[in-house]
Amino acid sequence: MATKNIEIVVAPPAPHMVGDGFRVHNFIPSGYHLDMQRMNPFIMMDYNSKYYFPPTNNPRGVSVHPHRGFETVTIAYKGKVAHHDSAGNSGVIGEGDVQWMTAASGILHKEYHEEGFSKTGGEFQMVQLWVNLPAKDKISKPKYQGITHQEINTFQLPDNGGLVEVIAGQYKDVKGTASTFTPIHLQNARLNKGGIADFSFPGNYSTALLVVEGSIKVNNTETVASDHFVLFQNDGESFVIEALENAIVLVLSGEPINEPIAAHGPFVMNSRAELMQAFEDFNTGKFGYLDE
Amino acid sequence: MNFSKETGLSNFRSYLQTKAQVTDEQFAVLAEKLKVEQIQKGNVLLRQGEVCKHSFFVEKGLLRSFTIDNTGKEHIIQFASEHWFITDRSSTFFHEPSDLYIDAIEDSCIVFLDQDFINLASDISTSFRQYNEKLLQNHIRHLQKRINLLLGATAEQRYLDFIKLYPDLTLRVPQWMIASYLGVTPESLSRVRKELARKNFKSI
Repeated sequence: MATKNIEIVVAPPAPHMVGDGFRVHNFIPSGYHLDMQRMNPFIMMDYNSKYYFPPTNNPRGVSVHPHRGFETVTIAYKGKVAHHDSAGNSGVIGEGDVQWMTAASGILHKEYHEEGFSKTGGEFQMVQLWVNLPAKDKISKPKYQGITHQEINTFQLPDNGGLVEVIAGQYKDVKGTASTFTPIHLQNARLNKGGIADFSFPGNYSTALLVVEGSIKVNNTETVASDHFVLFQNDGESFVIEALENAIVLVLSGEPINEPIAAHGPFVMNSRAELMQAFEDFNTGKFGYLDE
Repeated sequence: MNFSKETGLSNFRSYLQTKAQVTDEQFAVLAEKLKVEQIQKGNVLLRQGEVCKHSFFVEKGLLRSFTIDNTGKEHIIQFASEHWFITDRSSTFFHEPSDLYIDAIEDSCIVFLDQDFINLASDISTSFRQYNEKLLQNHIRHLQKRINLLLGATAEQRYLDFIKLYPDLTLRVPQWMIASYLGVTPESLSRVRKELARKNFKSI
């Protein structure tokens, strides 16, 4: 199988606040070479690199807001987030947990630091990813997969190299825990120093890495530091990563959805008319209601 | 916000070309009368009592005009998002001290138009003069409708009219500002939205 080579390594862009609870580096779509069409089906990635939030009695976060036309995937590395949505789901995700929310036809939700975490304060580190839906599923029923760290299927790497958590898709013979609408691989490689993991995905898939912790070497050549994002060429299938110190690497690869993208704020549809409809449906209560 | 003055000016030229058929040659003459500024969120462009010398064209961002009553409460008169004009006409046209405040709700790129610009553009371009008059008539039409809604419509009718005029503002401004524009309390706006959701949720 041909080697999948690196296209570019992107340093974390200057952070900005989302609400008052998430201090994020936006890689997709505003990063260099990382627009929605290029990264499709991954249409947004905000990365809250490790950041200390001091104690507070008023949980920080993002108040009620809508989504339509895609899925939001939140992967918690440090800290805890509580969330509520207009479909009646609520819960807390903590270290290692994943929240996979299919907004589809429309949902309102809010996300705050969990109360206990807010009171003690602490290090906070998360990824939020938006995964595009194909046109036929954009207006399907919203659904929710809350996946605890223990529920995520894992593959043990040989030679005490660490493990790969298969959130979605497949790694070797281990299938992902989450269900997806289009072929998507989303995995956390938790590697011990010197640990090696090899990956293989179809050449045409949009494929990338985010180094969440530690530093790694990719394909025995390129060294990539913490908080950096690696975009692979849509060519070749296999690549290998090696941990230069204990490392956590988020691996994402997905089949591009070859449809037009019309995006405005929290709505990602196929046409401008559908965006206008999304605003009207949101404004007239068709996404439901959620108290602030 | 990375939106340069040159971009602001060139976008305003395309706007005038499309809407008022102002040619490149005409715009070249007019451009020296124009000023483009980046206005940061929270900055005030006009204070009550000042004489307003400009109309403001929003290239990018969001402005609002409002008054403050004797009890200190704000009343929002107008929002102006991309490609809206906003000013205090009693001040720009009649040179009276302004009743209004105008400030930026988002980081904005604003084109400043003074009376000289309007006069010169009207002199050299008939289509601009016609367009400008249409804008004025349209503005009066909106104000008339707004007075009528404020006098006689329910909070729900006012809200439904608001979202037609400003479809994306519910995601850009806090609830209390929308309530202020509608002349209702934030609690009653929240009741309206809850009631709409009760009627319309799951009807997709």
